[in-house]
Amino acid sequence: MTTDTLNDLAAHQQVAPVETLKMTARGVNVFYGAKQAINNVSIDVTQENVTAFIGPSGCGKSTFLRTLNRMNDTVSSARVEGEITLDGENIYAASMDVVQLRARVGMVFQKPNPFPKSIYENVAYGPRIHGLASAKNDMDRIVEQSLRRAGLWDEVKDRLTDSGTALSGGQQQRLCIARAIAVDPEVILMDEPCSALDPIATAKIEELIHELRGRYAIVIVTHNMQQAARVSQRTAFFHLGTLVEYGDTSDIFTNPRETRTKDYITGRYG
Amino acid sequence: MNSTLVAGVPATGAEPPAPARTPTDWRGAKMQGSIRRRYAAERRFRLLGLGAVLLSAGFLVFLLWTMVGNGARGFTQTELRLDVDFPASTLMIDPAALAGPGKDAALAGADIEGATTAAATAAFGTDGERLLSDGAWLTVRDAIAADPTILRRKAQIWVPAATNIDLAAKGDAAPEDEAAYARLDKAGVTKTGLNLTFLKNADSTDPTLVGVWGALKGSLLTMFVTIVLAFPVGVLSALYLEEYAPRNRWTDLIEVSINNLAAVPSIIFGLLGLAVFLNFMDMPRSAPIVGGLTLALMTMPVIVIAGRNAIKSVPPSIRDAALGIGASRVQVVFHHVLPLALPGILTGTIIGMARALGETAPLLMIGMRAFIASPPGGLTEPATVLPVQIFLWSDEVSRGFVEKTSAAIIVLLVFLMLMNGIAIYLRNRFERRW
Ligand SMILES: Nc1ncnc2c1ncn2[C@@H]1O[C@H](COP(=O)(O)OP(=O)(O)OP(=O)(O)O)[C@@H](O)[C@H]1O
Ligand SMILES: [Mg+2]
Repeated sequence: MTTDTLNDLAAHQQVAPVETLKMTARGVNVFYGAKQAINNVSIDVTQENVTAFIGPSGCGKSTFLRTLNRMNDTVSSARVEGEITLDGENIYAASMDVVQLRARVGMVFQKPNPFPKSIYENVAYGPRIHGLASAKNDMDRIVEQSLRRAGLWDEVKDRLTDSGTALSGGQQQRLCIARAIAVDPEVILMDEPCSALDPIATAKIEELIHELRGRYAIVIVTHNMQQAARVSQRTAFFHLGTLVEYGDTSDIFTNPRETRTKDYITGRYG
Repeated sequence: MNSTLVAGVPATGAEPPAPARTPTDWRGAKMQGSIRRRYAAERRFRLLGLGAVLLSAGFLVFLLWTMVGNGARGFTQTELRLDVDFPASTLMIDPAALAGPGKDAALAGADIEGATTAAATAAFGTDGERLLSDGAWLTVRDAIAADPTILRRKAQIWVPAATNIDLAAKGDAAPEDEAAYARLDKAGVTKTGLNLTFLKNADSTDPTLVGVWGALKGSLLTMFVTIVLAFPVGVLSALYLEEYAPRNRWTDLIEVSINNLAAVPSIIFGLLGLAVFLNFMDMPRSAPIVGGLTLALMTMPVIVIAGRNAIKSVPPSIRDAALGIGASRVQVVFHHVLPLALPGILTGTIIGMARALGETAPLLMIGMRAFIASPPGGLTEPATVLPVQIFLWSDEVSRGFVEKTSAAIIVLLVFLMLMNGIAIYLRNRFERRW
């Protein structure tokens, strides 16, 4: 892959003229026991733009992503320092309700993890526990719309009662995406949502991201440079737990300030 | 990707070239030999496994064969036809009294036993009453109660035969009893049929009158108390320990204690039940509630351990998935973890309950070995349970108890199989629900 193709791709990405801060992180450190996985990361996630996290394997992208909806709370050894806000409110404050936070900040995990329930039930579960649908046909509509958006509807519409785990890996991942958007969150965190998908399904997901842009703030972790260039307006490059560079995607790909960034995106290491 | 620059660290020097490998000869004699050995090992393992299964199946068949062989006879009872000439008898009951509320008193006041003995003497000669069960007069009484008009005529009533005659009918008695039976049989006054008494009665001193219903009902009530207590408490403890409790010294201590409790001999639980429920809490002796409580103490650790293992094996990604769309901890537990863990929990429960059902020692300690002649009416009434009943009958000297013991064992095994069957059905249902 050459820098030029990436530049071409990134040049298409227009950063929105008006920007509202959706989430901010200031001086975030994450420790697993004594080991520091994230070191002093500060970043802004805007409502209008898609933010991509890139970086070599093990650099802490997933770890940082999980601090944004407090999923790290479930890891007993994990400890988070610093301040992260959602709409100006500290999400680690005692007054923040974690359950609601996770409904507002949805997540698609790196490994597909559908519930061992029917396809319908997988998508309907979130809206049901949050009371988003009052009647059966409301729920049917939410389920269909979410599955359509995730590009899965045509493949599963005749077998909504089949188990979600009986789908192929890529279908499972799209089911998980449908499940996340069914809750109608404000922010969607996607951890390598396309790593198990074929190019067609990947294109569908990217289309979905385009469609959702602006309506939801989106953060996506990806190992695919072209994908980062195609879908995001902002890119953050992580390396060994630190945020090396963060800026407009077009700048990162055409004109990186740091040599480490340049080496990584041109495939010289990582 | 350039491998020499992984993670930005330049390679420090070229590795020495590896010596060239000789190509593997996949079709050579050595490979063929190892393939043969592998097949042989697999055949050996299959045979060993099959042998183990056959051996245990053999034991099971032997057990069932002897039990059914001995016990099937316990379900039948020989009866004798007794001709009673009521008008000629000394019995004085006013048939009118039997219609009103004074019925029981009228029956109790009459010497039905004497009349039965007299009828037996008349029908079968001197010592005729020895051919009849001690409880034969009860059958006569019941016949009168059912139809008072027979008091005005000669009636034929089928009454249970004595143990010796019963055994002789089944071809298992002393020669003189065999002869007595042969005479009766020739006279056409014998018949052998299903022993309803055995399915209806409780314990008795006369083997022809004993029944298994008292013990069966005692077992049912006791198991009911056990499961109602042990299952929810065990499952909730397992859930709490796995999903909520912090990992620290206290929870480690609790874990060790629970594992130890599961290994404590059951007689100790009996002593505990005796000390706590009977002596300290003053609960009734021999009652199913106390038996159930004691057995629940014993079963709970088994359910907790099985439950924790089942809960542990639910993949963490399912919890993440639910938490990630904003499910609360309780919702995660009850919507996802518990349904997925339930088959495993039920397996543990089956094992625990089966053990509780067959338990004798702790129940002896809390007085459930008492002689109890009527089925328990409720949880606080004196009762015994099947295994204890079997133990008591197997200790009796009268030969009539041998087949009753085996019959009771069959009832216990059927109960056990039913209980396990229900649990396995439930387990499969939960497994298939997804
Ligand atoms: N639960 C955990 N306990 C301890 N260490 C962890 C845990 N999860 C991640 N780590 C460590 O934290 C570091 C960052 O991991 P993370 O999963 O965030 O990497 P990543 O950038 O997402 O990598 P990849 O691209 O391979 O998914 C790694 O060194 C990893 O070993
Ligand atoms: Mg990751």
